[in-house]
Amino acid sequence: MVVQSRGLRDKYCIVGVGETEYSRSSGRTTRAMAVEAIRKAILDAGLKAADVDGMLDYQGGDSTLANSVASDLGIRFNFYMDVMGGGSSTEALVGLAMGAIEAGMCNTVAIYRSMNGYSEFRIGGTGARAAQPVRGLDLAQVPYGMRSAGQNFAPTFMRHMYEYGTTSAQVAHVRVAHSKHASQNPKALLKERVTVPDVLNSRWIVKPLHLLDCCVETDNATCIIVTSVERARDLKHRPIHIMGVAGRVSKPRLDFHWAHGPISRVAGYYAKDIVFPQAGITPEDVDVTGSYDAFTFTTMLQLEEYGFCKKGEGGAYVSSGIIELGGTRPNNTSGSHLCEGYTHGMSMVIENVRQLRGTVDDYCPRAAEGFHTYDYSPRQCRQVRDAEITMNLGWAMPATGSALIMRR
Amino acid sequence: MPQPVQYRGMALIVPDNDSEWKEFYAHARAHRLVVRKCKVCGLMRYPPTHACPWCMDLGWTWQEVSGRGTIYSYEIVAHAIQPGFKEMTPYAVVLVELDEQRGQPTPDEALRVIANLVKVDFTAESEADVAIGKRVRVVFQDLADHMALPQFALTEEPAAGRVWRLPE
Repeated sequence: MVVQSRGLRDKYCIVGVGETEYSRSSGRTTRAMAVEAIRKAILDAGLKAADVDGMLDYQGGDSTLANSVASDLGIRFNFYMDVMGGGSSTEALVGLAMGAIEAGMCNTVAIYRSMNGYSEFRIGGTGARAAQPVRGLDLAQVPYGMRSAGQNFAPTFMRHMYEYGTTSAQVAHVRVAHSKHASQNPKALLKERVTVPDVLNSRWIVKPLHLLDCCVETDNATCIIVTSVERARDLKHRPIHIMGVAGRVSKPRLDFHWAHGPISRVAGYYAKDIVFPQAGITPEDVDVTGSYDAFTFTTMLQLEEYGFCKKGEGGAYVSSGIIELGGTRPNNTSGSHLCEGYTHGMSMVIENVRQLRGTVDDYCPRAAEGFHTYDYSPRQCRQVRDAEITMNLGWAMPATGSALIMRR
Repeated sequence: MPQPVQYRGMALIVPDNDSEWKEFYAHARAHRLVVRKCKVCGLMRYPPTHACPWCMDLGWTWQEVSGRGTIYSYEIVAHAIQPGFKEMTPYAVVLVELDEQRGQPTPDEALRVIANLVKVDFTAESEADVAIGKRVRVVFQDLADHMALPQFALTEEPAAGRVWRLPE
């Protein structure tokens, strides 16, 4: 089905971003972390609490709802909603924020995600989640020892290797690239650069995934503020314009996506036909990508599905150097989920906002003023020179994804 | 409501009002693998769902299938998440394409089922014997008076197409 563009390109902007530290022991509530991240984003935008009248958040029974968080900050709502979900929600909620403002329901929306994703509710399904009874659709998979995200995705990755000859070594380059980027990121939990052998020699989790093919669960909160381009013009930073957005686009048979194949096809196959026409660009126009890296394979699968290379050539693409800082189209320049910390997608949009502003928070002394060395050796710079257009490729699972194209 | 079935530390819950799964597991306990077949378009579907995903009709019957198929993809779990699976590692989860309805109604569709690849005693099949393309048959692991889990075991049939497993 063709989705008709509504002509909203460049009419909405991201004006503020903020986050807590990434840790494995926050020692505090998701409420406290959410309040800190939202406050930082409001101040980053140059707004006051009273200027924010909308709120959206997403969670999976592991976080604090908007009513508490807003009350702490003295925000009165004209619109708010708590949404169930994890990965691929960030881009979808940016689109929902635009829709709420376009409908005249509110003026400015703060989007947040707050989770003790390591110390309390582990994303991998261990801890509190492992004790949940199995019923309904879960009966088709969970009794077979298939519960975590990695276990749920691995047959998709394996089939891609079978169909296209993709190798573990090729895909390991995603971790190599993202660890390089994390080495330039003071916020990153894992700042050490790793090599392809490091990835291949790390222990198996669920084949074909090694430990270093998997992201790093963390405690954190993150926030993004969306408003109209008119409101954005007199705020603190250069407005970052939203050119196109696609939210939670899915494959057929979402209940059991194995039923519809080839299973190596992921949701970007459908989402690209929504987001690129909205933005009026092609993949060649994109300077920086943010392809969700819950696993090395998810980054690779999405980059090829959205057309940054041909279908089946993702292994060659991610191992070519293109996705590294200094390459022609760096991906996940903060080190993101594999190295910086797992955020369910928020941090990759935040990073791209900062790339477009030219104020990435690397080790350059005057980074906040936009002065960078472009020296990509360890503990130096991670700003991409003159980044004009970025694209985020959000992932929930092979069958569901979202996308967001922004420009400065 | 029947008591939850305890299996590898998990409570499997199939209450009397489970209109999707209750009869499926009753058939499995009688060692029959069944899927739902649409009364209107005749297409079969798994897992059990209320409406036909192709024609939206609500009429369906249980249809027994042969339980024969081919491994379409797989994974080897080395690090178990659920405590009850730790002693089973490394174990294979297989995505099996059943012989019935392959490539229908579109070339990209098939009746595919997730299960473990097991030996006759329901322990994990040797990792070296797990590969895409290998032929399998359904076996039933009895868990309670009203419930059995469909599992898959290798057969002696020649492989279907290219056989591939993850290089060491």
